[in-house]
Amino acid sequence: MSDENMNDLNSTLRRLIQTIDIANVLTEPVTTSIRRLLETSAAALGTDEASVLVREGDSGDLRFLTAIGSVADQLVGMSVPSGKGIAGFVLMSGQPMAVSDAEGDATFYAEVDQATGFTTQSILAVPLRFHDEIVGVLEYVNRTGSPPYAPFTPDEIDRATVYADAIAALVNSYEAAKLVRDLSTKTLGASDESDLAAMRQWLASLRRSSEHTERMELAVLLRELADRGDAERHLCKQLLESMLRYSDEKGEVSYLSY
Amino acid sequence: MESFDATMSGYFKPRHNWREATGRGVTVAIIDSGIETDHPDIAGKTVESVEARVEGNRVVFDPSTSGDSAGHGTACAGIIGQIAPDARFASIKVLGAGGLGDGQVFLAGLEYAIKQRYKVINLSLGTTKPQFFAPLHDMLDRAYQAGCIVVAAANNLPQPSFPSVFSSSLISVIKSEETDPLKFGFHYGEVIELTAPGVNVRTAWLDKGHRNLTGNSFACPHITGIVARFVEGYPNLTPFQVKSALYAIARENTPE
Repeated sequence: MSDENMNDLNSTLRRLIQTIDIANVLTEPVTTSIRRLLETSAAALGTDEASVLVREGDSGDLRFLTAIGSVADQLVGMSVPSGKGIAGFVLMSGQPMAVSDAEGDATFYAEVDQATGFTTQSILAVPLRFHDEIVGVLEYVNRTGSPPYAPFTPDEIDRATVYADAIAALVNSYEAAKLVRDLSTKTLGASDESDLAAMRQWLASLRRSSEHTERMELAVLLRELADRGDAERHLCKQLLESMLRYSDEKGEVSYLSY
Repeated sequence: MESFDATMSGYFKPRHNWREATGRGVTVAIIDSGIETDHPDIAGKTVESVEARVEGNRVVFDPSTSGDSAGHGTACAGIIGQIAPDARFASIKVLGAGGLGDGQVFLAGLEYAIKQRYKVINLSLGTTKPQFFAPLHDMLDRAYQAGCIVVAAANNLPQPSFPSVFSSSLISVIKSEETDPLKFGFHYGEVIELTAPGVNVRTAWLDKGHRNLTGNSFACPHITGIVARFVEGYPNLTPFQVKSALYAIARENTPE
């Protein structure tokens, strides 16, 4: 490998490490909290397999954010297309539902099962609601022990709905942290001469800093404004674009396209 | 009210024997995830099958060839078919269209069903987004004025979910643990007035299968099926008359 290629590789690796560090420091505490709550709720509902799927934008697609159980590692990052499967329906309808008695039919949740080698026989799915939005779906699959599994009961559906409210609030925090992370990644990715030691120190202090808190608050404000309606969203976008143009005229660099 | 008798207890109920009706001559629109039209429980009953497609800023409906993406629409058709075996279905698929957001697509599906003048409309979808309150309210008023009977699954939500809270213009249903498919309850004065079986309901599912299902959205098609039976005897029944009849029958189901 030539020196030039080696330098490119070093530079790429360095950026990758920076990105992973940022991802962990901002979002890992939230996903850990979600996973712990998932474990607690699954134990209360008599199951070992549970997952949180989050909505991706306006498309209605879902992505497995975190999961517990035998195929958890395979699930995380997988996507469910808009309107597909129980999760897709629950996201769109806002209706909790339970399905049981799959009788070993391989078509039940076939695509996910095929990818993971898992056999879904019963499922309880409830929407994750935050304010007026459905931000994702909480799913519990099968029961602890061996099949045939007892169906999920109406009482368990109600209890899952309570857990879903708590998890939805955490999912919202995760989304805010992710927004800050993405913006930070763009900023840091453009800086080739960063001192990694200083970077780590900065990352360690980030969550305690008032700047981080302000960024989180800004993200929440943006989300609230965006939810107020078309007129508010349009006005907010125009104002932000004007501010960015003003900032550019002062010679500062923006990473957003507008 | 020519079609109805006032009973001794003062409530209206249909003179036609709805308990022996089968929904013959009635088409039920199912706004949902599509229907598996060749399922043995459903085959030959679907008279129209369309699906939403987002085109720019609007939603258009094309003939559907993609079947049921979630299983839910097939399950609803299966339940309606158990109650009203001669009813026909119009599948209006609104799941999976993406693009503009679910609320707008679902609203367009409802508008399509009203424009087609489907007499009975089964609706398992809803939204908690405040910006859809007014458009949905208007749409449900249009349905009411057009004589379309909309039966909606309610949500157990701390915040209102639209349109299931619009008690005047549609029939909202929540699940009960009752096992007799024809036994429903009516809670006059409550936001969600109807209760119907919705726990471990066995019905059609994807790939010609069957499942046991629990949820309010499986209670809703029970009432839809019963309404299809009413409409067989009285094709011009109004939403108001349907509610009166449901109220009278529920009083018989659960005498004071």
